[in-house]
Amino acid sequence: MNLALEQWLTEKVQRDELLLYLWQNERTVVIGRNQNAWKEVDLEALTGDGGKLARRFSGGGAVYHDLGNLNFSFCVHRDNYDVERQLEVIAEAVRSFGIPAERTGRNDLEAYGKKFSGNAFLKTEQGCCHHGTLMLRVDEERLSRYLTVSKAKLASKGVDSVRARVGNLTDWCPDLTAERLSVALRGAMARVYDLPIEVLDLTEALQSEEVLAKAAYLQSWDWLYGRKIPCTFEQEQRFSWGSVQIELQIDRGVIQAVRCYSDALDTTLVHRVEEALVGCRFDKEALKERLAWNADLACWAESYLKELL
Amino acid sequence: MNFPKDLQYTRTHEWIRYEGESAYIGITDYAQDQLGDLVFVNLPEVGDEVMAGEPFGDVESVKAVSDINAPVTGVVEEANEALADTPEAMNEDPYEAWLIKVGEISATVDLMDAEAYEAFVAEEG
Repeated sequence: MNLALEQWLTEKVQRDELLLYLWQNERTVVIGRNQNAWKEVDLEALTGDGGKLARRFSGGGAVYHDLGNLNFSFCVHRDNYDVERQLEVIAEAVRSFGIPAERTGRNDLEAYGKKFSGNAFLKTEQGCCHHGTLMLRVDEERLSRYLTVSKAKLASKGVDSVRARVGNLTDWCPDLTAERLSVALRGAMARVYDLPIEVLDLTEALQSEEVLAKAAYLQSWDWLYGRKIPCTFEQEQRFSWGSVQIELQIDRGVIQAVRCYSDALDTTLVHRVEEALVGCRFDKEALKERLAWNADLACWAESYLKELL
Repeated sequence: MNFPKDLQYTRTHEWIRYEGESAYIGITDYAQDQLGDLVFVNLPEVGDEVMAGEPFGDVESVKAVSDINAPVTGVVEEANEALADTPEAMNEDPYEAWLIKVGEISATVDLMDAEAYEAFVAEEG
């Protein structure tokens, strides 16, 4: 919903206004526009805890949000787009709490060598969006768990996340809250741009059909998993009747090609596996169904692919 | 900065090279320099229509996604899928690393020759 609203704001913003939207999400991993979800996120751990996956329209790597995080979005016309100045607003607000915020080489913000704000960008002919996280008291254990993936068997095109040491702003200023930071951001915005501030009521926009349609698309399987980011997945398993090695080529979230090797006595097996899987969505339930004719393979799809799906 | 004479240019920093009835489209040396290291490209499919002045794809560099606009209205005849493996080719040799080839061209945005584009870039920079 928040991502849909900032997209809408980015499309609607006028040349004579600068929008700063502040928002929070419950437990969610947000991946970059061109990332492979299976490669970047431990989906089993995330969804098992009731967390959600989202994909934003800007680039970059995976970040974790919970209510200990405050997000900001600058939605501005291209003529007014100035990353340096926008980052200055954020840094100045954070510095007002005595935290020495500094910009990193990747346009993030850190203090004492720890990153507390991850930033990403979208530029179109009209509207531009610069958004980022501000870690206040994010659950670092969960952050690390959801974003740590050991999937050596998965090779993917797409953009890889860049790991960084992270820190919460409350480590350095214990009584800082999202409310206090929001007020400081508003003040910093007015000072850096030397313009009057007006607070907008977005209730109506949030219920508009345009925003709801964007939200539906952002939550769709096609957007989350079905993008054109090819990957290959390899898995090998030994059963009582022989071993099976499978190599899947996946694109747009669908298995495009299968190579299967087996030393099983049943020589039709390899062919049947290949036939069953081509065109199947790379999705635990779909795989299980396609392999239902062999209980061992179906069980394998469920348990061995589980860590991935 | 390189501005080949045999190309035409847009105000949004794409180049176009006509070849018979079709045209190759890419991003300029200035564009790649401004964008920084490119890590991903989204291209349309063969058969897709592109509209003059409208985005037909986008590139990602240092966490920023930027639209790439079509200089012409037409139909995609080829997409340079090799760029999926080597997006850095757009940085290294932007005039060789074409993105799409378009045919059935029916409309065109205002294009500049190399000299005019060089002056335009000098003004913008």
